[in-house]
Amino acid sequence: MRKRIQVLPKFQQHLYSLVLSVLCMAAAAGISSAYICASPGNSANVPLIFAFFLALISCCTTGYVYGVLCSLFSVLWLYIIDTRHSCHLDLSPAGYPVTILCMTAITLLLGSLTSSLAKQSASLAERERLLAEAEKEKIRANLLRAISHDLRTPLTGIIGNSQAYMDHHADLTEEEKLALMTNIFEDSSWLVNMVENLLSITRIRNDDMAISTSEESVEEVIGESLQRMQKRHPSCRIRARIPEELIMLPMDAILIEQVTINLLENALSHSGTDEPVELIVENHPEWVSFTVRDYGSGLPDSLLDHLFDGTDYSASHTADGQKGIGIGLVICKTIIDAHQGTLAGRNHGHGAEFTFTLPKKKGTYENKNTCSVSGRR
Amino acid sequence: MKTKIHVLLVEDDKSICSFITTSLSENGYRITCALTGKEGLSLAASLCPDVILLDLGLPDMDGCQVLMQVRTWSRMPVIVISARTKEQEKVHALDLGADDYVTKPFGTSELMARIRTSLRHSHINSPERIYKALDLEINFEKRLIFLRGEEIHLTQIEYQLLTLLAEYSGKVLTYRFIMNAIWGPYMDSNNQILRVNMANIRRKIEENPAQPQYVFTEIGIGYRMLENENI
Repeated sequence: MRKRIQVLPKFQQHLYSLVLSVLCMAAAAGISSAYICASPGNSANVPLIFAFFLALISCCTTGYVYGVLCSLFSVLWLYIIDTRHSCHLDLSPAGYPVTILCMTAITLLLGSLTSSLAKQSASLAERERLLAEAEKEKIRANLLRAISHDLRTPLTGIIGNSQAYMDHHADLTEEEKLALMTNIFEDSSWLVNMVENLLSITRIRNDDMAISTSEESVEEVIGESLQRMQKRHPSCRIRARIPEELIMLPMDAILIEQVTINLLENALSHSGTDEPVELIVENHPEWVSFTVRDYGSGLPDSLLDHLFDGTDYSASHTADGQKGIGIGLVICKTIIDAHQGTLAGRNHGHGAEFTFTLPKKKGTYENKNTCSVSGRR
Repeated sequence: MKTKIHVLLVEDDKSICSFITTSLSENGYRITCALTGKEGLSLAASLCPDVILLDLGLPDMDGCQVLMQVRTWSRMPVIVISARTKEQEKVHALDLGADDYVTKPFGTSELMARIRTSLRHSHINSPERIYKALDLEINFEKRLIFLRGEEIHLTQIEYQLLTLLAEYSGKVLTYRFIMNAIWGPYMDSNNQILRVNMANIRRKIEENPAQPQYVFTEIGIGYRMLENENI
């Protein structure tokens, strides 16, 4: 309760506390008067009623002032009841200082307890936020590292090949010229893929990883991904299997297309085989799974634990000279995380297999997330 | 002698201009470049080109404004050149009357194909009586559809959708255009019903709905049907 009112501005906090104190005291006074009128003989419980409302006030107001003031008021009211109705309360006039002391002590104790609780929970939330921030920072750093590494390689190729052409074009045979140009073309096509990947990431809002989703038909997204693959690699063989029924899923179609293309592209270029790649969509009650399966050499064990973190990657992938699947997978992971889905890679015995799932309804996690965001504003 | 087809390219990037100029003139087109929107507009009016290639990101004015001004006095084919991630921009341009779009980066063959398609459509005076591509045949007069020689049965809406796409085959049609044409302007903007009907059509004419051969999806924009071989 106190945590919630601490969100309000200072002025509103005090206004809220004041109103609450007045209401509570009025309630206490009313109830106690009614109680005494109903059973004039039995007034031992009247201080208890006040004690209860004092506890409530000290729990729910800011600072100690309201609690202390209310305890003073309670004692005054008890005194009035005592003299007006001349009932036999258990407080003799000499006992008033004790009553005042007791009531003040209750309010102070409760007040300090709740405020320390509130402080604790605030520091906990702060720590959580810092942790999340650090995690995001880590992802960003990994991404940047992977990008700068992966960009440098094709750029070096382009510069080198074009320079060779310009410097020696008089001595080169037609075939050599063509080879240089082909290299430039391949490197720049690869750069285009990379840039498309990076651009797709900008569709994810940076601060809270939110994306704008709409209901899309799975077969259309898969269809277009395959069409683009066909355009890029006219000789590639991909077998797609999708459920008979029409599946509509909330997603950012461009991003999911990007994920599918990245996974297919990985499977084609890293499996080391000409066996067709399979793309299988399965409909489950709560989610839809998309599996890209190749029948090639599979994933090396050393990579299995670091598929999606972008770290420990450059070492192995410069060694075998393959151009980064690192960054593509990091981007896939980021995209699927933003959809509240899961992404996993494993070996299935005859090659590698990547599966991502997308939830059919927006996850509870995201609802919570958006609530806390709107609360902060 | 056959006159060369005249293409006007409105594009501010010199490198893109030079590669399009080279490859188009190699393929027998006559090409004029304009580096700004204003220059493009005045050249469009004075030269009356057969096709305009229009980049949407111009230094002096928005490409969509150029398109709107051209459309006030001419129906000449306009092909928009745009970056990939901006579907909204493409849809807007198509709704404003652009005939087609190509996405940067694009290859020469793709550009050539788009130019041919748009030219073909601008020269058609009477609508085709028969659509034919691969194994699919649509007879508009008899309202019959054949796949590998066998008749296919579609519902009324499905038939209207397919013939609309076939009529503009090779061209991308935006969701809004299709919705307007089939369900009228008062249908709500949710295009779920369109997706469902398309899914049904796919199941009737495509061998594998995930790898369509006839009707292609352009995510976030609309649908495009395989070019009619009959023209």
